[in-house]
Amino acid sequence: MKKRGRGIAAAYYGTGYGNGFPDVSRARAEISKDGNIFIYIGATEVGQGAKTIFCQITAEILGVETQDIHFVCEDTSQTPDAGTAAASRQTYNSGNAVKKAAESLSQRLMEQAQNHLQLNSVHGLKLENHWVYLEDFPKKRVHFKELVKEDTLIVEETFTAQTVKMDEETGEGAPYWPYTFCCYGVEVEVDTETGEIHVIHGVCAQDVGKAINPELIEGQIEGGFAMGLGYGLMENIGLSKGEIKHNRFANYLIPTALDVPELEKIIVEDPSSTGPFGAKGIGEPVMIPAAPAILNAIYDAIGIRFYEIPVTPERVLVAIKDAQKEGKE
Amino acid sequence: MISISLTVNKQVYQVEVEEDLRLIDFIRDKLMLTGTKEGCGEGECGACTIIMDGKTVNSCLVMAFQAHGSRITTIEGVAKDGALHPIQQAFLDVGAVQCGFCTPGMVLSAKALLDENEVPNRHQIREGISGNLCRCTGYNKIVDAIELASSYIKEGQQDETSSSGRQ
Amino acid sequence: MKPLQVVGNRVLRVDGKAKVQGAALYPQDINMEGMLYGATLRSDKPHAFITIDLEEAEKIPGVVKILTAKDVTGHNHHGVLFKDHDVLCAEKVRRIGDPMAFVIGTSERIAKEALKKIKVHYQEIPAVFDPLEAMEERAPKIHGESNIIYHYKCRKGNVDEAFKACDIIVERAYQTSMVDHAFLQPEAGIAYMDEDGSVVVLAATQYPHFDQLEVAEALGLPTEKVRIINPAVGGAFGGREDITMQIHLALAAYLTGKPVKVVYGREESFYAHSKRHPIMMKYKTGATKEGKLLAMEVMLVGDTGAYASWAINVMRKAGVHAPGPYEIPNVKVDSYAVYTNNPFCGAMRGFGATQTPIGSEQQMDILARELGIDPIQFRLMNCFRVGSETANGQILHESIPLVQCIEAVKDRMFQELR
Repeated sequence: MKKRGRGIAAAYYGTGYGNGFPDVSRARAEISKDGNIFIYIGATEVGQGAKTIFCQITAEILGVETQDIHFVCEDTSQTPDAGTAAASRQTYNSGNAVKKAAESLSQRLMEQAQNHLQLNSVHGLKLENHWVYLEDFPKKRVHFKELVKEDTLIVEETFTAQTVKMDEETGEGAPYWPYTFCCYGVEVEVDTETGEIHVIHGVCAQDVGKAINPELIEGQIEGGFAMGLGYGLMENIGLSKGEIKHNRFANYLIPTALDVPELEKIIVEDPSSTGPFGAKGIGEPVMIPAAPAILNAIYDAIGIRFYEIPVTPERVLVAIKDAQKEGKE
Repeated sequence: MISISLTVNKQVYQVEVEEDLRLIDFIRDKLMLTGTKEGCGEGECGACTIIMDGKTVNSCLVMAFQAHGSRITTIEGVAKDGALHPIQQAFLDVGAVQCGFCTPGMVLSAKALLDENEVPNRHQIREGISGNLCRCTGYNKIVDAIELASSYIKEGQQDETSSSGRQ
Repeated sequence: MKPLQVVGNRVLRVDGKAKVQGAALYPQDINMEGMLYGATLRSDKPHAFITIDLEEAEKIPGVVKILTAKDVTGHNHHGVLFKDHDVLCAEKVRRIGDPMAFVIGTSERIAKEALKKIKVHYQEIPAVFDPLEAMEERAPKIHGESNIIYHYKCRKGNVDEAFKACDIIVERAYQTSMVDHAFLQPEAGIAYMDEDGSVVVLAATQYPHFDQLEVAEALGLPTEKVRIINPAVGGAFGGREDITMQIHLALAAYLTGKPVKVVYGREESFYAHSKRHPIMMKYKTGATKEGKLLAMEVMLVGDTGAYASWAINVMRKAGVHAPGPYEIPNVKVDSYAVYTNNPFCGAMRGFGATQTPIGSEQQMDILARELGIDPIQFRLMNCFRVGSETANGQILHESIPLVQCIEAVKDRMFQELR
């Protein structure tokens, strides 16, 4: 028999290294003599889209297009240290560093423009499409290239997150900041004959602070959900006396395109005053509620609680049999 | 050594290969077409998918000599005249790419699918890429991309017909 | 404030075009003139003293050099927090998969053939695979005096008193499994010597600047003589935080003067990088009959396997997040990280905070059902809002839209509750 059930799970996740450890990102911004804009930062693009959002942040501040930014992150001899691509910290930490560097560069461009245009101050200057101009008298304008033709403009900025080390006896402190929240709802179908569980629908509401790129956020939600589904239902390295029995894709099963449901993704925005444009990190939180929501949905479907994951078909069948036995006794 | 001839991305090769050389190693190491990826070496992940005589195969499971006389398309042969193939464009447009390691194999599985079935439904698409593992995207945006590619291809055909009609 | 022009838009990913064309270069796609190939000899015993005999292997034509612990020119250690890994195991292996020797040969085939000819004499010692057993006094010790390497404590209010005031208490134990990141791109890399005498390591990593420090320390070189290049990375999820091949490659290039490449297969990848900590959890949660959470007591034991990696930070994050996103006036959490002879565990997406909701969110459902309150309503009654105080005494002063998230799911999926 196929039985359906629904469940939800809510979660939160504190960004960064935490516990008062200095969580530092550094970024360098440059405009070369030929007018090209560079960002140098040792923040890894692992597939999450770091390169893209850092280019967007820079483009926003300098009034240019994303593709105008030359982004370099691959080489320690060229880039300042921006910490690890982990702890959902790159958008928040390194995003802030990039934003500060771009703002510094913008300030320097305006100061140079003030001199060049013989203005009394930088007030009212605006950056757009590689020009600096006075907003109320746009004829007063100068191209970026004109401002840097003598010397490359280079600025470097640092962002350090604020956390407070916890007391070792009581845990009192402010271990992480900011926190990101989410809630997922799922519907499952449990085949009581085969023990197979199919997740047939999912609704994912994810707090992001401010979405820098909704497409990339949706991609994270989809991927995080799939990884959570694998965690709850499929994945186990099969340990036996320290040996990994499931050490190939033939026996370490991860979700395929046939295992994941269509998802409804809801991006919830509530800007954080310390995030770049209000943004918070979401790379990890997107995974968290998937497995517990599935576990709650399984209970809703068949009235059996699973206290150990993954809930494989074998475990489902055993549990159903045990429940029937208990029912008879 | 065995001498074979085969066509890869419309180019004909006549070469001597070792008997135990896998097709993936021939493609990556001899032809230096490194867009074909190896993720598992046993045909489970699909990262090494290529199209051989119209069908997708895992190039890690085929020996190079078995490709004698075949016509092969790798990811490097998908774009035409420097322009992205509609499938590649669609992957880009809907955000179906993250780390990118599965992407070449996915694109080729999608191509083989769309070559056979111009307008597959979402379930057919899922089946078509079920031999390709992806750990980043959760697949749905890839399914979106293949749906979109199907419409791009149709629009492209209509454009061609209408422009030839005008001539 | 002026409206945003670029931020907030669905800008196409800047690295996408290269990736859809197969033009993005991952480490395995990069080759160099005259390069040598490496292969790693790994332990097949979980806990043993070792002696290694290279004689037969070194005779194989095409074997250039075989590195063991004595070839490490700097400190034979690495590790993100504790330097508890040997670059190449000197005396003892602590898990199956520990690297013991690194063969450098003129082809991959030769290097792998030589692996089979290396003779390892294992003197096995008792091993421990269960973290609860490992916590006991008499358990075999993996490193040093105790296998317990971390104990996080959270004490808020008075749980013993508070449980007395609860109308309902739910007590359950949960267990999560050890899992792998299973990123699609297995580890690969290539190292070479630069014109100025720097060692350059090209490998997929999450943190190039930290790799630089670890390589420099192991080789005994100043940091500026080590350069890490991080080409396209085929997924990471935490599994590329710890060193895998970077030091082996750097050492090989440094000692031979030639470019050296290594590519792991999937099975080796499973042994080479960290895993997700499996956590044994005991939860006791109490509430009033009106549905207000009053007290929670949690015990967590995380198995970090043979090396600490990020265990302390992971079990700290697990401990901090164990109560879930709810206001609970009385909380007691104890979270332990424990060494065993299992594969080592470290960072993986969620970093401890992914494991605990397997327990805490099922506790919420069990409580709600026993109280006869809808599980969604129960969460809304107790969840964090602006101004809430966490179990650590942290005030959540802004950007706390959890109610919105829960309401959104309720509206889309549980319409009958509206």
